[in-house]
Amino acid sequence: MSGRINTIAKQTFKAAFNNSATLALTLLLGLSLCLATYVGWQNFKMQNNQRLHYKALVRAQWLAKPDKHPHRMAHYGYLAFREKHELSFFDFGIESFAGVSIFLEAHKQNTVNFSEAGFTNGMLSFGEISVAMVLQLLVPLLIFFLGYNSISAERESGTLKIILCQDVSWKQLLWGKTIGIISICLAIFIPLILLTILLWASLSHWQISMDSALRLLLLVLTYAIYSFIMSAITVLVSAFARSSKSSLITLLACWIFFMVIMPRITQAVGMKIHPSQSKIEFADAIATEVHQQGDSHDPNDPHYAAIKDSLLKAYAVDDVKKLPFNYGGYIMAEGEKITSKIYSKHQDELNKIFEKQNSITTVTGFLNPYLSLKHISMALTASDFNTYVDFQQQAETYRYQLAQKMNKLQIEKISNIKPGDEEKPLAISKANWAEQPDFDYHFKQLDTVLSKELLALSALTFWLVVTVILLQYSNRWIKTI
Amino acid sequence: MLLITGFAGLYFGKTFIARQQAVIEKAAILQKKNTLTNIDHFGNDIGLLFFHNKFTMANAPDHWAAFANGQRDINPYLISVTMLGLEGQLYDTDINNPVSLLLGYMDLSFVFIFLFPLVIIAFTYNLLSEQKESGIWSLLRAQTNRSFQVIWQKFLVRVVVVLSVALLLLFTAMLYLALPQDLTLLSVTVLILLYLTFWFVVSFFFISLGKSSNFNASALIAVWVLLCIVIPASFNLFLTRKYPVPEALQNVINQREGYHEKWDMAKEVTMKPFFKHYPQLKKYPFPERKTFSWYWYYAMQQMGDDQAAASRLAIERKLASRQHFTDVFAFFFPSIQTQLGVSKIAGSDLNTHLAFQQAVRKYHEQIRLHFYPAIFLNQSVNDTDIKDFKLKKYNRKEVPHIWVNMLSVSLLTLVMMGATAFNLKRFNS
Repeated sequence: MSGRINTIAKQTFKAAFNNSATLALTLLLGLSLCLATYVGWQNFKMQNNQRLHYKALVRAQWLAKPDKHPHRMAHYGYLAFREKHELSFFDFGIESFAGVSIFLEAHKQNTVNFSEAGFTNGMLSFGEISVAMVLQLLVPLLIFFLGYNSISAERESGTLKIILCQDVSWKQLLWGKTIGIISICLAIFIPLILLTILLWASLSHWQISMDSALRLLLLVLTYAIYSFIMSAITVLVSAFARSSKSSLITLLACWIFFMVIMPRITQAVGMKIHPSQSKIEFADAIATEVHQQGDSHDPNDPHYAAIKDSLLKAYAVDDVKKLPFNYGGYIMAEGEKITSKIYSKHQDELNKIFEKQNSITTVTGFLNPYLSLKHISMALTASDFNTYVDFQQQAETYRYQLAQKMNKLQIEKISNIKPGDEEKPLAISKANWAEQPDFDYHFKQLDTVLSKELLALSALTFWLVVTVILLQYSNRWIKTI
Repeated sequence: MLLITGFAGLYFGKTFIARQQAVIEKAAILQKKNTLTNIDHFGNDIGLLFFHNKFTMANAPDHWAAFANGQRDINPYLISVTMLGLEGQLYDTDINNPVSLLLGYMDLSFVFIFLFPLVIIAFTYNLLSEQKESGIWSLLRAQTNRSFQVIWQKFLVRVVVVLSVALLLLFTAMLYLALPQDLTLLSVTVLILLYLTFWFVVSFFFISLGKSSNFNASALIAVWVLLCIVIPASFNLFLTRKYPVPEALQNVINQREGYHEKWDMAKEVTMKPFFKHYPQLKKYPFPERKTFSWYWYYAMQQMGDDQAAASRLAIERKLASRQHFTDVFAFFFPSIQTQLGVSKIAGSDLNTHLAFQQAVRKYHEQIRLHFYPAIFLNQSVNDTDIKDFKLKKYNRKEVPHIWVNMLSVSLLTLVMMGATAFNLKRFNS
């Protein structure tokens, strides 16, 4: 039984390469894939090295700062850079649209700036060529060109009747054709994967982590499933269509609608249904809430007045200047705690709105396997929205830690007695700066990533199941003549 | 179908811009409110007031911005700055959903540049091959020796239909977006029509090759994919590789160091270059003996900017070379050319944003020079006119022209026409 499927598959494979146009197209695609991989890898190296260079520079400058008041260091702050995951050369995801550096300072939260998109002149609306883009967008087109007449040509030339008379079932025919087409794709796919693995390993300097290896494995698997789904769809459309011509037109129209038009529409709809705030409104909302909770600048503010009273009582003094630690630092630590909490709350709400916007596109994955794959691919290569949010959160945690560390140094090591207008400022030794560790960004582990992608994964599985069922059972509805 | 997507594009494009306008109006209100709040909190210390108080400048969207959203989603259209070092504030982005930026927006220019060619292909790819495949062509040729005229007439009908739809959409856009009827409207119309003509000519070229319907459809879609997806996307990758902009990160570091290191240095290390830059401020007495003074503080902030001047110019040079490279490349590809042209004229491109940043720099200097005396003399806040400051709007000085864009598209169209004519001669003989 499976022998027949194999034969049909082999024949499909050979026949496709007899056609010089498809051969040319396949070679061209394979070539552009290799080129995309190589250039993407080079780009990654260059950009990541840049960021690592500046990271080292920032650290060196931090440690080299002379003795000074720790609050000055808190304002000097730190510059954190968003590192790229090694696998992001495979799928750029939102990399080019998300900022690269963020200034972390006390009292204030800043935005992540300098995205690549900010430097281009509208060209990015055309997209960027990456391995993922070719595999998600162009390979299905190739599959459509390869297979649009796989069944319909047989029907039109009359050979279909002959094949079916020779005790070949529809099931075997459909599966055979599908496998034949997908093996053509594999012929391009496999050398590419090998090249990818080589480049990726060299990027991580041959120290491959389990997490990255698993990610790569899953990537290969999901893309293979996607190619299978596309091949199956092609063969099924070819079988159901009235003629080769209508099969081609249907497939092309689907490609255009599902892969070019639909993503934009779903995202636009998402943004309409769940509008997000602009920065100025966001900042205003935070400022209003901070003011309500406690205004550290207002000497009559009830919250801070209560703290002052409790401290005075606890240390049995009548004036803050007589406390055995730096009172100013203490108040700032309290203020920082309050503002950070409020900021994080608002930031979380904002991110939730963005997630809701994105969810429309993800749910549409049940109608459109391209969207599901896109999502999964971005998640696995750590170039998706969740990774970006994670970076923001790690940066904010670091910022808070830095501010509070400097506050602590001030509380413990700076005198509570303010120097006069013309006296030297109070300072602590520069050896203290080394106590603040460098900002090291850690990518999330695979299991966390996957748990967030369940919707997209189930959409892709759904499509796999549907196509398998159709291949197995749709023979009742297909016309032979 | 074109009309539906066209109207959808118009709707979404307008919504996007309407939102920006609403935010700008809100910002104007917030600026006043925040100024009063700041005076309330910090009114006793003028230096501290200006430490906190923000002045906002808006790059108000043109009516045309709804037609081609361009970079307006990526580059901020509202920049709020305090009197402190500008280079540390100027590059702050707005809040955006990066996934939306990735997937792109629906606006009318998207419909024209990406979708119209597809419809043109769909209408025309099988004009000749259909006749051939159904056997009518041989009948026709037998009956008349001007058989090609029939094809030509059918073609012309389709041209008229598509161009009328395009004009209808543009007319609707004019009403819906309140576009003024001027040279801009004319230029955009001409450019779009030229672009569509290009696609008709390409289609006709493939028809003139006389091959099968399937071949035509495949070839034309392949051309579309090449022109609208593969080539621009590959170019982007190449551009990023050839012209990276590490100067931007270096600039931030320079500004930060330039300002912060001054805290640990003698005051005249700051004041000397400050007075060199602004000799007119020397007349305000500088409190040399005070450990800290706002005078010194603001001077230090300015030093951060001054020391970053060289790296800032480096960024500008790098961006200019990028732009030049893009322009030269775009000359050969009508899809890119049209997109760039439309964005340029709608004020949604990078150059408009760079000009906006320059305007903010000028405004920042104006504000600083205006308020420095009050701060240096430690005057009362109520003596200044800070309450009179409103949101400032940036308007483009002149609308750029897009002759080059139109020229390149026409040239390429003519080349294709030549090739087609050659084919037809061969065909008929």
